[in-house]
Amino acid sequence: MSSRFIWHCRNNPKRELWFAWWATVVFYNFFTVSFFILSHTQPPANPALDAQGAAQWFEKNHYGILLGFAIMFLVTGMTAPQNALIAYSMRRMSITPAFGYSYLVLYSLSAVPGMLLLCIVLTVGALRPDRKPELQQWLFDLAFLSYVGTMGVFLIGSLVWMLAILIDKNRVFPKWFGYLNLCNALTEVVVSPAWIFHNGVFAWNGLIAWWIDMVVFGVYTGVFITLLRQMIIREDFGTGPLPDLPREAAS
Amino acid sequence: MTQTARADARVRFVPGQPDMWAFVLFETLVFTSYFVVYLLFRTQHHELYLRAQAGLDLQIGVFNTICLLSSSWAVARCVQASRHGAYRSALTNAFLTVFFGFVFLVSKVLEWARQIRMGNGFTANEFFQHYFFLTSIHCLHLLIGFVVMGVVVYQLLSPKRRSQELVETGATYWHTVDFLWVLIFSLLYVVR
Amino acid sequence: MNTAFEKRLPIVWSALSLMTLAYLWLDHTADKAGVRTASTVVTVSAILIALIKVRIIFREFMEVRHAPLLLCRLTDAWVLMMAVCLFGAHFIGLLRS
Repeated sequence: MSSRFIWHCRNNPKRELWFAWWATVVFYNFFTVSFFILSHTQPPANPALDAQGAAQWFEKNHYGILLGFAIMFLVTGMTAPQNALIAYSMRRMSITPAFGYSYLVLYSLSAVPGMLLLCIVLTVGALRPDRKPELQQWLFDLAFLSYVGTMGVFLIGSLVWMLAILIDKNRVFPKWFGYLNLCNALTEVVVSPAWIFHNGVFAWNGLIAWWIDMVVFGVYTGVFITLLRQMIIREDFGTGPLPDLPREAAS
Repeated sequence: MTQTARADARVRFVPGQPDMWAFVLFETLVFTSYFVVYLLFRTQHHELYLRAQAGLDLQIGVFNTICLLSSSWAVARCVQASRHGAYRSALTNAFLTVFFGFVFLVSKVLEWARQIRMGNGFTANEFFQHYFFLTSIHCLHLLIGFVVMGVVVYQLLSPKRRSQELVETGATYWHTVDFLWVLIFSLLYVVR
Repeated sequence: MNTAFEKRLPIVWSALSLMTLAYLWLDHTADKAGVRTASTVVTVSAILIALIKVRIIFREFMEVRHAPLLLCRLTDAWVLMMAVCLFGAHFIGLLRS
């Protein structure tokens, strides 16, 4: 078994693509554990908490935050192969390379306010539990608002990928996935009322602004990971239309 | 195939790209979830929602709905004309579609302005949160619809480009904007 | 062009518009002596009419009538799903309030 693996590492022409794909899958697993299980930042904490409540939230999740985000700081680099793979998919299309490059720039930047800022700020908050509650609440707000509120970059990135897919003639992705990118982009808009409301369905933990959005995002992520895998299987390193999935590999 | 033969023939075809249909069904699911949230919360604060709803003008809602129904009619005629090669008629109908959509948009913006002046803003109460959210997200879909109709017009304009499939795909999207409004209208303006 | 489809469209539009105007009447009957009151009958009717309109739009405007069986069944299933969700939300909400 391991000798086959080593052979693939040495000789498989698609090894970089597969490495990037596996990095994506592994990253999302770490992300899920860090955010959902360890630090309890997903689903998000209650925005209606007052200063005391925020301080108590930090206390309750103290070790989860420190451990969960220590993991995130280690694995954040794995988003690079993911973005590279998606940009690669656009390079394989019949369109100008500008699409791939734009996406790469947009999504490389987006991780900073869209994920890392929350990790840093909450770790800072957990570092000194004896800080004033008002300061802790400030860190709490900054973390969650930056995470939820910075959708502009993700929105534009999704639209870039959508446009690329729709005008592509190499059939790298099915057109319905282009439209799914539009659905994902729209969820970024739906989340924007979170800047205004402290409670209710439009708050950053609300039924509409978070829960329904998360379902759409989850579907979208599962779909693109599957489609990227199929793209790698189909890849022929040419410049024409991508061949269909070979029957045996369709499982 | 002659015109009448085509229309009467039992040739079953998917209008436009099946991909667009997948999008339509998925978006309908998402909107249904928004409607479910609205209805659930409505039943929890019935009095509040009833009183707030009184601020809406049903006649404007009816006018809006008929506007979009007319735009749907126009885009259906556009598809039909394009199918029969009558491209000038198809273009006229495409512009008619956009025209009705634009009337809807203007009417909506004026209605929002009026509600805000009356004190019923986005943050006024729970009912108006849902009102502004649903009508705004629908309007966003309408604006995307204008882009889609732009693609349709672009296709119809050049004899080299004309793709019946793209015209039908665009029409499918536009009809979605219409039927989503039918649902939103009944839930916001009429439901008690 | 005198295709059957062409002739149907104005009839479809008229039917849909009439159903829309029916809301004005529904709204008028809903108020008891000018006071806005909650009414399950009005709610159910309003949603039902809307769903019928949606199905007509699917079948006539979006040409599902001439579509393969799968699409016919899918759109019908979607209308059914919406009915279940909307009525369900309303009645479950009423039970819990």
